[in-house]
Amino acid sequence: MLRLIENEVFKIIFKKRLLIVFGILLVLITAFAYGQDNSLNRTKARLAGRIGITASTDWKKLCEQQIIDLKNRLESPYGHEEDKPATRVRIEQLQYYLENNINPLDSSAAKFTTQFMEQSIFLFLPLLIIILAGDIVSGEAANGTIKLILTRNIPRWKVLLSKLAALLMLEIIVLLMAAVISAAVSGVFFGYGGWTAPVATGFRVIGDRLETLGVVNVPQWQYALMVYGLAYFVSIVVGTVSFMISVLVKSTSASIGVMMSALIGGNFLSHFMSDWKITRYLFMVNLRLTDYLAGSFQPVAGINMAFSVTVLSVWAVAALAISFVYFMRQDILV
Amino acid sequence: MQPPVLELVDLKKNIKNKEIIRGINLTLGPAEILGFLGPNGAGKTTTIRMIVGLIRPTAGSVKICGYSIADDFIRAMSNVGCIIESPEMYKFLSGMENLRQLSNMDKRITRQRVDEVVELVGLQKRIEDKVSTYSLGMRQRLGIAQALLCRPKLLILDEPVNGLDPAGITEFRNLIRRLAHEEEMAIFVSSHLLSEAQLMCDQVAIIRQGSIVKTATVKDILNTETVEWRLDNPVKAARLLKEKWGIEALRENGNTITAAVGENRLELINQVFVNEGIELRYSIPRQNTLEDMFLDLTEGDEIA
Repeated sequence: MLRLIENEVFKIIFKKRLLIVFGILLVLITAFAYGQDNSLNRTKARLAGRIGITASTDWKKLCEQQIIDLKNRLESPYGHEEDKPATRVRIEQLQYYLENNINPLDSSAAKFTTQFMEQSIFLFLPLLIIILAGDIVSGEAANGTIKLILTRNIPRWKVLLSKLAALLMLEIIVLLMAAVISAAVSGVFFGYGGWTAPVATGFRVIGDRLETLGVVNVPQWQYALMVYGLAYFVSIVVGTVSFMISVLVKSTSASIGVMMSALIGGNFLSHFMSDWKITRYLFMVNLRLTDYLAGSFQPVAGINMAFSVTVLSVWAVAALAISFVYFMRQDILV
Repeated sequence: MQPPVLELVDLKKNIKNKEIIRGINLTLGPAEILGFLGPNGAGKTTTIRMIVGLIRPTAGSVKICGYSIADDFIRAMSNVGCIIESPEMYKFLSGMENLRQLSNMDKRITRQRVDEVVELVGLQKRIEDKVSTYSLGMRQRLGIAQALLCRPKLLILDEPVNGLDPAGITEFRNLIRRLAHEEEMAIFVSSHLLSEAQLMCDQVAIIRQGSIVKTATVKDILNTETVEWRLDNPVKAARLLKEKWGIEALRENGNTITAAVGENRLELINQVFVNEGIELRYSIPRQNTLEDMFLDLTEGDEIA
C-alpha cells in the first residue's frame, strides 16, 4: 500500500502540479503582501493626517477614529441597509481591541501569514486543491493508463485509496508552502516577528450583535495553527469532492471545469441569494470557517461553526462513498 | 489435472440493452498461441476487457488458471500480462520509471527482472528517455515489456504489431513463439493482420457480431485445398462431386467450378470426370489462406 501511495505522489510531482501551485502561490502572495503594505500605509497616513498623530506612537487614537468613522457610516442615510449589521459587528470588535489593548493595525509576517489563509480559504485555496485533485483519476482515464493500473493484481479500491492518500498528503504540502511563502515574503515588508502577539478569538455573532463573553487571547502562532488547521479541513473536503468529480468524468478539463464553476457559483450564491435557505447546505457556502474564529459577520444568517463543519463533513463522506462505489463497479471503456 | 490457463464460459455482455457479446466459449492451454480475429466492431476488444476485468460480464464467467476473475480477481490477475489496445504509458515519465511504477505494484517483480525484460524487448539504449520521445514501435516494445514483468502464464495482446516495422514484426513474432515454447506461456493475440496471425498463431478463433463463428488450427486451414476446374459440363461435374464424395461445388462464371476437396483425391476425381465423358481443360489446386476463410466467414458485415 505504501508503495502504491509512493507511486501516486511520484506521478503528481512529475506532472509538475506542485510546481504550478508553488508558482501561483509565490506570485499571488508577493502581490498581496505588497498591496497590503501599501494600503496599510495609506490608511495610517489618512488617519494620521486627519487627527495629527502618527500611527506608531498612538494606535489607540487611530482606532477610536476608525470607530467614529464607522459609526458615521452607520448613521448615514445613504448607506445600504444590508451592510449595517456587518458594520455594527466591526465596531464592536474594534471596541474590544481597544479595551483589551490589542493593536489591530499592527502588521507582521505572522499576522500576514494568518490573514492570507483567512482570505484564501473560500476560493483561492480550493482552486489550488482542484489543480492537484482534478486530474488524479480522470487524467488516467483520459490518457488510457487507467487500463495499465487496473489490470494488475491489485483490487480497485486499493488503487483508489492510494490516490486519495496521496492527495491528502499533498494538501498538507500545499498548506505548508502557503505558510512558508507567506511568512518569508511578507517578512520583507512587515518584519519577521509577531508570532507571540496576542490575538482575540472566540467572538460570536448573534443576530447583528457581537458577543464577547467567550473571547480569549491566544498568541499569534497558535491562532495561525488554528487557521491552517481549518484550512486543512477545508482542503480535505474540497479535495474529496474534487476527487469524486475526477472519478465521475473522463476528462481532466471537464473535471477541473465542474469544480471551478461550482466554487465560483457557490460564492455568488452566498452573496446574492442569502435568503434562499437551501444554499446553506452547499459545501461552497460553508468554506469560510476561519470567519467564525475572527468573529466576522456571516452573510448567510443562522449558520455557525458547528453547522458548517457538519455540512462539510457530510459532503466529504458522501463524495468518498460515491467515488468508491462508482469506481468499483465501473466498466472501463476508454 | 491442471485447469486450462484461460477458460471463457458462455460469456455475454450487453451495453445499453444491446447485445455486444452473445455467449463466447473458449479454452486456451499452456504454450498455445491463439489468434483472436474479427472485423471492426465484432467485439474483440470488449471480450479482452472482460477477460482482464476492466468490464464486468453480463453473464458467464472468465477463469484464469482456475481462478474466477469476478470472485478471485487478485489471484487470477497475478497470472496475466496484457496490452489493451495501444500500450498507454505515462508520457511524462521515462520508460524505466514507468516500469518501476508497475514493479512497485507487485512484490514478485525484482529490479533484476525489470532489467531482464528491458533487454528482452531491446530497449536498453532508450529506457531512461521520456516516453513522450518514443516512436510508436518503441512504445509497443515498452508495452510488451510491462506485460512480461510478472512472468505471466497468460499473455494478452491486443493488436500488438501496430506501429512495428517489418523487422520489428518478425522479431516480435519470434519473441512470441519463443515465450510460448520455452516458457509455456499461453498467448492470446487479437489482430486484424491476417497474414501475420497465420504466421504467429497455432489456432485461430474468428469472432463476428459477438459470437465465435469458427475455431480452427492454422495447420488445418492451410491444408484445406480448393480446386478450380474448367470443363465443358459443369452441371454434370457438380452433380458427380455431390453424389460420389458429398462435396458441394461452387459454380463460378461460365465453365468454371470450384470445390474444397480433401488431400490426395484430386487425381481420382479427375479420373472419374474423364470416365464420365466430361471434357476437362484444366484443374488447379489452390492453397487456402486464413484470409480466404476470414473473408468467407465475415462477408457482408457492416460495423454494428
